[in-house]
Amino acid sequence: MSGILGLRVVFVLAMLLLAAGCGLSERGKTTVRFWNGFTGPDGRTMLQMVKKFNAANPDVHVLMQRMDWSTYYNKLFVAGVGERAPEVFVIHADNLERFMQARFIRSIDDLLAGPGGIAEEEFVPKVWSACEKDGLHYAVPLDVHIMGMYYNKALFRQAGIVDAAGVPTPPRTRAQFLEAARRLARDTNGDGLNDQWGFVFTWYRINLMGLMAQWGGSLFSDDGARCTLGASPNIEALQFCSDLVRREHIAPPPENFDAWVGFRQGKVGMVFEGVWMLADLRRQSDMDYGFAPLPTLGEAPATWTGAHTLCLRDGLSGKELDAAWRFVRFLSENALDWAEGGQIPARQSQLESERFRAMEAQRTFASQMPHIVFSPRVPFIFEFLSEFDSAVEKALRESASPEQALADAERRVNITIERQRAMLEEARGAK
Amino acid sequence: MTVQRTWRRWSGWLFVAPYLVLFGAFIILPLVYGLGLSFFRWEMLSPAPAKFVGLDNYREALFGAGSEYFRKALWATFRFVAMTAPLNVCLSLLIAVGVNAVAGRRQALYRAGFFVPTLVSIGVAGILWRWFFNSEFGLFNAYLAPLGWKVPWLTDSVWAMKSVVFMTLWWTVGGPMVIFLAGLQHIPRHYYEAASIDGAGALRRFVHITLPQLRPILLFVSVMEIIGSFQVFGQTFMVTRGGPDFSTRVLVQYIYETAFTHYRMGYGAAMSWLLFCCIAVFSVIQFRLMRER
Repeated sequence: MSGILGLRVVFVLAMLLLAAGCGLSERGKTTVRFWNGFTGPDGRTMLQMVKKFNAANPDVHVLMQRMDWSTYYNKLFVAGVGERAPEVFVIHADNLERFMQARFIRSIDDLLAGPGGIAEEEFVPKVWSACEKDGLHYAVPLDVHIMGMYYNKALFRQAGIVDAAGVPTPPRTRAQFLEAARRLARDTNGDGLNDQWGFVFTWYRINLMGLMAQWGGSLFSDDGARCTLGASPNIEALQFCSDLVRREHIAPPPENFDAWVGFRQGKVGMVFEGVWMLADLRRQSDMDYGFAPLPTLGEAPATWTGAHTLCLRDGLSGKELDAAWRFVRFLSENALDWAEGGQIPARQSQLESERFRAMEAQRTFASQMPHIVFSPRVPFIFEFLSEFDSAVEKALRESASPEQALADAERRVNITIERQRAMLEEARGAK
Repeated sequence: MTVQRTWRRWSGWLFVAPYLVLFGAFIILPLVYGLGLSFFRWEMLSPAPAKFVGLDNYREALFGAGSEYFRKALWATFRFVAMTAPLNVCLSLLIAVGVNAVAGRRQALYRAGFFVPTLVSIGVAGILWRWFFNSEFGLFNAYLAPLGWKVPWLTDSVWAMKSVVFMTLWWTVGGPMVIFLAGLQHIPRHYYEAASIDGAGALRRFVHITLPQLRPILLFVSVMEIIGSFQVFGQTFMVTRGGPDFSTRVLVQYIYETAFTHYRMGYGAAMSWLLFCCIAVFSVIQFRLMRER
């Protein structure tokens, strides 16, 4: 009998302790769940910022969850549609359209205008307009991650691509680019085949989007109602790229080359990559690399860009909304910490700050701001990107001509557009 | 008396009830729901409500706008099944016979050794093998380098599927091997003794005793292998992402992308049922073939 009583006392005590323990961490604190795909070095930077925010805001607890970008959007979408979205989440600017259409992101114009707001003029206009739909804004841009050129200084010196003082000179024009690439590409082991390359396509998608824009091509008609991937400027750009591999032999064939690793191993002279790759290069101490704006290979300067934006879940209110907005504002205001890790802030004052001017690489990439283009703003972005990637891959592998590959992709994307348009009309008709 | 009879009639059901509940909730219900879904046009991205469209989804996959990709994915799946299933059955049988010949404690060691990869999750195995296969600094090409070979394991559409099959063999051979081993150990020893006395060599003993004795197990393993191979997803998703040029995008991956990246639920469900029909047809053929004779 006394044994059972003893057990009961222990049990009650345990429950009390448990309750007290919960109370300590939960009482008075508002939890903000924060999802993103920063699984690389950028995740460590972000974690530091979250810790800083939590320390400065004892009434809020931000819980960050990172998952791989490749499955991130599937999870976020399902969570959102099931009304279990996190309070704050990151979305790439080119995915906003599809998530705005899914309607679980809260518009933020009232918060911007409110007492703890942010002046709209602060944001880089091109990025800010990417967050807008039907006159409302749905996200706070955190950064602008622009594509630029990285080059291997040691290989440049070896190939004699230097100025009078012996400093490597990155190319600015198509002629200079081809000249440099031809001198960089060579056979080092004497088997008659090139094993050092002038250039390599690291990420077909952004490489080609940037170059197609340089040739003046556009991927969709202005109203987004038709895909124009098969237009001649796009074909010319892709043909140029395919020639680099197949005719000029200055870029390695994609069948047998790990592109970015090849650059890091010193087998490639130049690559076009995003500013975020800085973090990766910095960890490698034995590489002498430089950075420059994208050379103009087409008719006019242009480069691809993306942006991470911060979104709030629809339906937030009261303390939760306040806490979530304070967190978003904190990240935006401290975006220079974020930029240190290899990013470019999206706020004018930060771009003009002394601290940003001291970040040489980021500043070089940011100098291309007047010529940036985003991925197209369409709700069926994933369908489009899948077709786009496949078309570029086919052309570079020569399993189809650039013209054929792009025409096929255009036709399939237009089928998707047509299907979605019909459904949209049907939905309107039903109302 | 009547109580006893009622008990006898229902006790069986009582024992299978826990399984039936789970089977119903997680297999039968989704299956039926999926079948229903396949007759609807339901796209989660669109504001348009779900609509009954009859066989439209099936038509699109087989003959319509989607048939190009559907056929390509189906073809990739067939290629995978045709390579993996026979190789896996033969290899696991071979290993089982070999392991069975080892006596005592060492047998357990070998058995465990071959079985361990099966325990590794596909996420880990996939990342591991992606590194092995890397054409620049991967393990395999490092071994082949002295011979002057550089194989584009994953980056060439001629090689990619073979590499995935290779990895799959490593990953899955342990399962059927253990089943074969159990089967081998149930074959009465005196059959072999009698055959030896009659002068039968190792090969004849294998063909005339081992194989016939293992027939039911062989049937079971082959059916499971074919079904399992048709459902391949993890390997291609982790190692090649379906590339290059969709050459390893198998049907399950295409269904996954359709339903959970493009959110075309009805169309995805229809393709799932087409895959189900494929598997059912092959299973029936196999049962027929093995039952005759």
